[in-house]
Amino acid sequence: MIDCLEFRRRVGAEPSLAGSEIEAHRRNCPACARYQDELQAMDALIGRALAVDAARIGKPAAPKAARAAARPQWLALAASIVIGVSVGLALWISSPRISLAREVIGHVAHEPGSMASLVPIEPGALAGVLDPEGARLRPVGNVTFAARCVYEGHVVPHLVVRMPQGPVTVLLLRHRSVGKMVRIAEQGYMGVVLPAPRGSIAVVGRDQQDIDAIAQQVFNAVEWGG
Amino acid sequence: MNRDERGTDRRRRFETLCEILRPDLLRFAFWLGRDRQLAEDVVQEALLRAWKSLDTLAEEGKAKSWLLTIVRREFARSFERKRLEMTDLDALVAAEAGVLVAEEDSALAEMREALFRLDEEYREPLVLQVLMGYTTKEIADQMGLQQGAVLTRLFRARARLRQELGLAPDAP
Repeated sequence: MIDCLEFRRRVGAEPSLAGSEIEAHRRNCPACARYQDELQAMDALIGRALAVDAARIGKPAAPKAARAAARPQWLALAASIVIGVSVGLALWISSPRISLAREVIGHVAHEPGSMASLVPIEPGALAGVLDPEGARLRPVGNVTFAARCVYEGHVVPHLVVRMPQGPVTVLLLRHRSVGKMVRIAEQGYMGVVLPAPRGSIAVVGRDQQDIDAIAQQVFNAVEWGG
Repeated sequence: MNRDERGTDRRRRFETLCEILRPDLLRFAFWLGRDRQLAEDVVQEALLRAWKSLDTLAEEGKAKSWLLTIVRREFARSFERKRLEMTDLDALVAAEAGVLVAEEDSALAEMREALFRLDEEYREPLVLQVLMGYTTKEIADQMGLQQGAVLTRLFRARARLRQELGLAPDAP
């Protein structure tokens, strides 16, 4: 078993660290458990602090347009794309629904390795990911990946559940409320974001025809504690 | 697929990548240089370089890491070119108040300023970990460091922030 010094060294670098050694130490040392909880709370604040509004940073400036005009043709083409993207970005920011879909897909696409494993993870590891949210997952399919990920500046559970119809990525977005179901269909991914008792739940898959039904099964399997 | 179609497909791929990842690239560049104009310039130049070398991107799943590397290199180039002297932190904080301000949330504003004042060697791995969701191994690869060095920097970064915010140090 690791001692307090080692525990604090590890969680000081990675506050969301979980695993049998960490959990065992937490159970036996309330002070260290509190220390990790404080660090996780601080990380949530750091995440929010770092997630500055990109629109406030990326305001296009006139001199750059002039500079772009003087570039060779291929540079001008690329610059036009960038400017086009800036316009798209403004539209995107103004549309929370589209933004939500793209953020979810962006996160799923960023972690392609999460789909690689076929081996169910240990129940303790799953509990380590869901417990901080006060959530539990009733048996619905094999969970082959579970991690606490940073998403929109918040630490959120990210699961891969292998359903009979195929694998799906599940994100529990406690910080993000949606008024009604939001559909996602981009880059070959299909999914839905469902309003949940706490925030929302995103369920995303590839090539699944019945994603609505799958999402409903996952949604029904998530239990929220008091 | 003919040449025109390939060109259109290439352009669409790039547009999609930019659309999804540009906000994060801007944030990353901003926290590297703590200057929004520099961040905008760096990201714009980085995207131009990325467009030119799009064919070297083997897997789109690795696009974020690929683009962050380009932004990081572009930032180093800009920094070298401009030989920026960032010694007056108070002036920098004041100059970037438009981005740092967090109305109605003093804890958030205080944290932003503390992050702004954090040394770059601690700030960058923290941004990659907390904002970009990178593992310590990925951060080590991105920064060309040993994983142990990254863990040390991340530990110290949080210790300094706790100190800056007046929290108990509680360090081992």
